[in-house]
Amino acid sequence: MNSKFFMSVLVPWSIFLPLIIGLLKFKLLPKNARIIWYYLLVSAVVNFAASFIGRRLHLNNLPLIHLYTAIEGLMFCWFYKVTLEAPKGSPLFRWLPVLFVLLCIINALFFQSIYSYSSYTRSLEAIFCILFALNYFARAITDNKGKALILLPAFYFNAGIFLYFSGAFMLFVFSNFIFNLSESNYYIIWVIHAGFVLCMYLFFATAFLLCKK
Amino acid sequence: MQKVTDNIFLLVLFAMVGTFILAAAFIFFFLKYQRNITKQKEALQKAALEHSEQLLHATLLSQEEERKRIGRDLHDDVGASLSNLKMIMAQNADISSEKHKPLIDNIITTVRNISHSLSPPGLDLFGLEFTLHELLDTINSSGGIQVHFESQVGEKIDALEKNTALAIYRVVQELLSNTIKHAGAQNVYLKFFTENNCVAVTYQDDGKGLPAGNEKKAGMGMGMQNIEARLKMIDAGFTIHAPEHKGFFIKILLSKTASQFEIV
Repeated sequence: MNSKFFMSVLVPWSIFLPLIIGLLKFKLLPKNARIIWYYLLVSAVVNFAASFIGRRLHLNNLPLIHLYTAIEGLMFCWFYKVTLEAPKGSPLFRWLPVLFVLLCIINALFFQSIYSYSSYTRSLEAIFCILFALNYFARAITDNKGKALILLPAFYFNAGIFLYFSGAFMLFVFSNFIFNLSESNYYIIWVIHAGFVLCMYLFFATAFLLCKK
Repeated sequence: MQKVTDNIFLLVLFAMVGTFILAAAFIFFFLKYQRNITKQKEALQKAALEHSEQLLHATLLSQEEERKRIGRDLHDDVGASLSNLKMIMAQNADISSEKHKPLIDNIITTVRNISHSLSPPGLDLFGLEFTLHELLDTINSSGGIQVHFESQVGEKIDALEKNTALAIYRVVQELLSNTIKHAGAQNVYLKFFTENNCVAVTYQDDGKGLPAGNEKKAGMGMGMQNIEARLKMIDAGFTIHAPEHKGFFIKILLSKTASQFEIV
């Protein structure tokens, strides 16, 4: 399997695996699983739009990543608000999404051009997602009500997010830096990133499969 | 300044793959740890369930034993005495005869003893201290062992709830029975005192204690299980200390919060 096929066919299309499983079991999905399903839907639309803009129109599609970062950050905040059972009116979950969107806008306007990778906000998003994921693990030890974690959909959602953002964090941080050094190396790193994405989709698909009434 | 020759691309690659592997390892070990904790919880729950079943079994067994004993007492003592009386009356029409009196007194005493063993009558009327004195007097007068009773709690002992007082009375009865049967003791010391604003009871004998390494098993005997069941019922905690050749010691703490059972 060559890397081009992996990057441009296998991984982008693999998003339909969790999407289809989620759609088939949509009525059985708890609220947090539905949020992930909506996230996957947005992801699929943005990915295919980016691909169309880049490959067919031969235009810079990076402005989309700025928009996508803000939406993704919001959706993961919403997911963790539900999964971590944050109390109503929790200041963290009230202000973090607002602050994050503001930062995305400020970053796009004043710091990183919309035609370059939004490495600052994406790194920040990776940090808060990793912290939320660790928080989930810490809570799961004490109050999982005696259930085996390996059977809980929330565990797989969380593990997928944790693995993806842990692996991709360095890429987000150094993305623009590497791009300026060597475009070929930049491509190789994105192939590895695609592997992490695939891993996250497989975890999400497993989680949807485990959702029961 | 020395020029850095490291390949930044390789460093990022290592960092990415490295953190991914670290995260994966974290999840793997986390799952393993959680599975161990779940197993431990299950084992503890199973042990607690088994223990409760043992206590229930011991309680039912002790009820059966009690019923057998009452039946035997009624049959052997009251029944036999009444049969004797009937035979004597059949032979001798003079029922006012003085010679029947000892037999009737014997029946009355036996019925009173059975009735007292079923429910100590003084407990409601005169309280726990009086009833315990009555029990201890009976044992002291038998000459086998001497029971030394001391109460430092004043009127608190009689202010105990009826269920608590009855449970303590039964526990003392059971402990005395164990001491008489197994300990070979000369003296027993029973003491009521206050500890952390709760009534505490200690029971100590100068018998042979429990065989070495057998302290934990003390909790497994039916008598001890009865004691534990009764104390659990009133939310009391207890500690047993019974080294070999140094006598038996138990401390009971009558507190809603002291629901720990410990054998050291």
